[in-house]
Amino acid sequence: MLITKRHLSRRTVLKGIGVTAALPLLEAMLPASSAAAQSAAKGKVRLAAIEMVHGAAGSTAFGAKMNMWSPAATGKAFDLTPSALSPLDSVRQHITIVSNTDLRMAEAFTTPEIGGDHFRASAVFLTQAHPKQTMGSDVRAGISLDQLYAGRYGQDTPIPSMQLCIEPVDQAGGCEYGYSCVYTDSISWSKADAPMPMIRDPRTVFDQLFGVGATKEERAQRRKEDRSILDTLMGSVDRLKAQIGSVDKARLDDYLSDIREIERRIQKVESVNSSGEQRELPGAPVGVPDSYEEHVKLMFDLQALAFGSDITRVFSFKMSRDVSGRVFPSTGVTTGFHNASHHNSREDRIRDFAKINRYHVSLLPYFIERLKRMPEGDGTVLDNTLIVYGSPMGDPNVHNHRRVPLLFAGHAGGTLKGGLHIKAADGTPMANTFLDALHKIGMDDVPSFGDSAGSLDLNAVQDTTAAAQ
Amino acid sequence: MRQLLMASVGVTLLGLGLAAHDAQGPAAAAQSTPATRTAPRATPAVRSAAVRTAPVAPAMVAAEQTRIITTYCATCHSERGKAGGLSLASFDAMKAHEQPEVIEKMIRKLRAGMMPPPGARKPDEAAIEALTGALETRMDELAASNPNPGWRPFQRLTRAEYEAAVRDLLDLDIDVTPYLPADTQAHGFDNIAQAQAFSPTLLDGYLRAASQVSRMALGDKQASATSATYRVLQTESQMTYVEGTPFGSRGGIAVTHHFPADGDYIFKAMLQRTISGELFGNTGIATSGSNELLEISVNGDRVAVLEVLASMSDAGEKGFVIDTPAIHLKAGPQRVSAAFVPRFVGPVDDLMMPIDHTLVDMRIGTGFGITSMPHLQDLVIAGPMKVTGISETPSRKRVFACRPTAANEEVPCATDTVRRLATQAFRGPVSTADLADLMKFYDQGRTGGDFEGGIRMAVQGILAHPRFLFRVEGVPATPTTAAFRVGDIELASRLSFFIWGTVPDAELIKVATSGTLKTTAVLEKQVARMLADPKSDALATRFGSQWLRLQDIEKIRPDGILYPQWDQSLTDAMRRETELFFASLVREDRSVLDLLNADYTFVNERLARHYGVPNVTGTTFRRVSLPPTRRGVVTQGSILMMTSVADRTSPVQRGKWIMQVMLGSPPPPPPPNVPTLDATSGSQGGKVLSVRERMEQHRSNPACMSCHRVIDPLGLALENFDVTGQYRIKDNGVPVDSTGELYDGTKMEGADGLRQALLRHKASLLTSFTESLMTYALGRHVEAFDMPTVRAINRDAGKQNYRVSTFVQGIVKSQAFRMSRPAPTTSTDADARQ
Repeated sequence: MLITKRHLSRRTVLKGIGVTAALPLLEAMLPASSAAAQSAAKGKVRLAAIEMVHGAAGSTAFGAKMNMWSPAATGKAFDLTPSALSPLDSVRQHITIVSNTDLRMAEAFTTPEIGGDHFRASAVFLTQAHPKQTMGSDVRAGISLDQLYAGRYGQDTPIPSMQLCIEPVDQAGGCEYGYSCVYTDSISWSKADAPMPMIRDPRTVFDQLFGVGATKEERAQRRKEDRSILDTLMGSVDRLKAQIGSVDKARLDDYLSDIREIERRIQKVESVNSSGEQRELPGAPVGVPDSYEEHVKLMFDLQALAFGSDITRVFSFKMSRDVSGRVFPSTGVTTGFHNASHHNSREDRIRDFAKINRYHVSLLPYFIERLKRMPEGDGTVLDNTLIVYGSPMGDPNVHNHRRVPLLFAGHAGGTLKGGLHIKAADGTPMANTFLDALHKIGMDDVPSFGDSAGSLDLNAVQDTTAAAQ
Repeated sequence: MRQLLMASVGVTLLGLGLAAHDAQGPAAAAQSTPATRTAPRATPAVRSAAVRTAPVAPAMVAAEQTRIITTYCATCHSERGKAGGLSLASFDAMKAHEQPEVIEKMIRKLRAGMMPPPGARKPDEAAIEALTGALETRMDELAASNPNPGWRPFQRLTRAEYEAAVRDLLDLDIDVTPYLPADTQAHGFDNIAQAQAFSPTLLDGYLRAASQVSRMALGDKQASATSATYRVLQTESQMTYVEGTPFGSRGGIAVTHHFPADGDYIFKAMLQRTISGELFGNTGIATSGSNELLEISVNGDRVAVLEVLASMSDAGEKGFVIDTPAIHLKAGPQRVSAAFVPRFVGPVDDLMMPIDHTLVDMRIGTGFGITSMPHLQDLVIAGPMKVTGISETPSRKRVFACRPTAANEEVPCATDTVRRLATQAFRGPVSTADLADLMKFYDQGRTGGDFEGGIRMAVQGILAHPRFLFRVEGVPATPTTAAFRVGDIELASRLSFFIWGTVPDAELIKVATSGTLKTTAVLEKQVARMLADPKSDALATRFGSQWLRLQDIEKIRPDGILYPQWDQSLTDAMRRETELFFASLVREDRSVLDLLNADYTFVNERLARHYGVPNVTGTTFRRVSLPPTRRGVVTQGSILMMTSVADRTSPVQRGKWIMQVMLGSPPPPPPPNVPTLDATSGSQGGKVLSVRERMEQHRSNPACMSCHRVIDPLGLALENFDVTGQYRIKDNGVPVDSTGELYDGTKMEGADGLRQALLRHKASLLTSFTESLMTYALGRHVEAFDMPTVRAINRDAGKQNYRVSTFVQGIVKSQAFRMSRPAPTTSTDADARQ
């Protein structure tokens, strides 16, 4: 047998299954206090990496002067009132704002790349790598932050990671400026040449996370059926074993242990359910909601539930898509998102654009509060979560990638203090912050990330006066 | 002919003793001179076979074999040099039996003409031929005196087999990719038992699949509203007719959707936007002066017409979504299409026009001067709301053969139904205990619902049952160390999954149950019947496509700027072309050498236009004669495109593919830290370089040279075909040079030169084919001890012009297919199962 030496471990097989590996079980894994330790045990931290496109008003010269994104003071005593971040004031002790970092990898390196920023930048946000300009299948960027983490620890949970998005995407074909649409459509790259598809339909997310069924009763019914089938399978596997060879018997024994594992999970669901302590799942959504806000909040609900139940610890979430012309009615701005971003450096239009930025940021506290309401160990799930929120563009009017919007939330297993505004030295790569983030969530052996030049300490308390200049 | 054929099979089987039970002809018995264990010379029985392929020389004595090998091979394959990790310094032909793997490797390289390498000192051709023949004879004798049918653990159904089995059982087409994890490919195939591991994820997938499939098959009155999204790839052209949509329409999509119940459903169409958030194709609407219409139809009947407004935009309330009111539809699979109704038909006099890949650039849809029309991005089907019941569907007809009209008829009817379905699903008789289990499921479903609910639960139980999912084969009741014959019922499954890729049909089960399948005559008859059945297309879609690595074509998407004539429908057509071509070899029982020689292929209009074949219209594929520039599978678009990269051809990948698939001798992987071709510059001294020139620049490194002088010429001979497989005479403006020298020194020019050079080594092609077919048939790696069987099959096939059926019959009748040895007990083997 030539392949006898090929040891195919279970882990190897599980890899590559990706998000199709959903388990049906799920309320079980929604205990009031979950198994995840409260210390920053390696790989236990939940990571949600959220991208918003088109930069921010605060990245313009005028916006910076008016503190439309980063507050005037560094350290703890920052004032968010003039900033698009003002909706975060209620959760300010949980956020870490890092201003003044650059995303040079999103800039044009060669003449044909000039102008293609919208079609390249999203691929840079989490990879911190410069994408290869191509409209064919020979795409290339880098491994993204979330996938680096999921690649190391994702096997500890039923689903290694999930990728969500709001705007419709295609993943095939070219967009413009000689860039394949995958660069615009996906922020997660499992390998330098492997962008991952993003899921837009909350129902798909729901089914993958929690099993099929629109109501609690339906899911309970399906669990009951599965349990009865598993019970009976035990007997039929035993009968099969009676007449076969030794190695095949051992193979079936493997299978029996899988049956017992799935039974155990179902039993756990049932017992948690009967104890009345389970968290309520939202009703299964039918499809994509018409309203942007409803859609985003539903995606946050699902992420929070998945974190609380430890079904997966890694999400990437693309909250928009480059050159989207969507209008956000509640901002009072009637111009489409992309047109509004090309503010022509007019102060009134920059102010309008800041309103859109503020609206996007205003959706975050919903997620943060949800995680905070979930107790875990002596703290909350938020304590064991790291949220990254940022944009791969700075001033969208000129398509630059300097002084890009970036903030972190949560406490990453106690390793991130929060309640801070850090102003990076001029020219600091955004990758420096991601490198420190990786170190904090259990990957302290990673020497560099993207174009990082050292790591930027996300707990650094700076002298307020230093930043006020 | 029959006599002769059986005679040589007899030789391979007889040493086992067991085969004597079969109806072997007297010729076999007459030839069964036992091989002498240490004989340095071939025995008459086996030599006769070897000599037929090597008419040049009389058998070469062992001392001479040793002398040739130490003289010509051991210079590189020395103790110190160990070229290819092999030392032949102390080679002794007398001890060949001690290292069959090495001998088989030598035979492979010698037969392909790859050794001794180009430029090296070598004996004359007759001597090489005699040496190879003698080595083969020696291995054949060894196998005859020590037969080994091999062993593998039990196989489980692959995704494709699961889908095919569900189609046969329940008359239901499903896609299991959302449920079952992808199959691990090993040795080129997805059904290799050793690579099929178990995990809770897999079991969970089985449970969810059983639950969903049983509901899809029988309908689901409790179905809650959900939505299914069907996406139109952006790389699909939508300016022309799409298959399955109403005739006369343009673009859109046609799908078969399973409606879980009779009820109300809503269709939502989302249209493509331009990058700046306007409706793609709004210029076309402006030109025609009237809004475009999108027709939704079910089974060809219009159920709704939606208006596509030129003013749609990101900023609009519903963006690019238009939806229908609730529409009442019946349960079951229905063909749904959404396609545009053209409002104006006439020539457009633009200076520039989109070609096939109409969305290659998303800005053209708003630029005047290029008339484009709206494109569909996806179609969402949401429902059911207000379930009213479940209408008759093909699956329900298949399942409900009886309908109880009174309470006391329910259990007998259920028992019949469950037994019938389980017999087919389990591929043999259902034990009392298994039936009792399944009836428990029925009871459970009946108690919570009605008769149908009970049957549905039993179907769910069948689909999750290990006897359905696993192809477990029994062992003799008394423990044995000897090889044993596989039971007839199990042989029927082996046959069916091999030839049909699915469960056996009723006739095959009947023959197996009667106990006659083990006889060679009945086996031959069944194989002939199965090959004639359309289900034998699986040999093309399952075996052929994996052997030729057709799945790789999905990995390449040509650059839209350089190759705007490409779109996804071209890729689909190319894949279908090769499948149809392979199926024609099976169906018409043609020679395997037609893989190289065939002067015909299959095209639809899209592909015919691409190849420049005239007078083909419509989406249906048909057989056409090829122009002299194309012959066989190597010049088909699928192979040429999947061995390219997005923006250029890759002679290295093409050469590698030929070595791996056509010659059965893949090159070793490149050493680490080798710069890619892309790292060499595309121009030199201001002159744009062709792919060939860039490769020669790249190849100047001597470390790369030793392999690439073998690989590259094979691929360079195909340089007349561009990334998309279109014929060309220039590359980057430089005239194409498709000349080269095969590794054995044969001069080649173009695809036809390559074909003739490959035909000189047809034994390698045949070995690759038979070996791969056997790997797929057995679900295990083909070992050195199998190679004598491979050669015997090739020899027999040669007597019948290498007809495909002779290979299939040869494998089915081999001991490897009909027998098994007990599972190995060594720890290494046991470890391998994990």
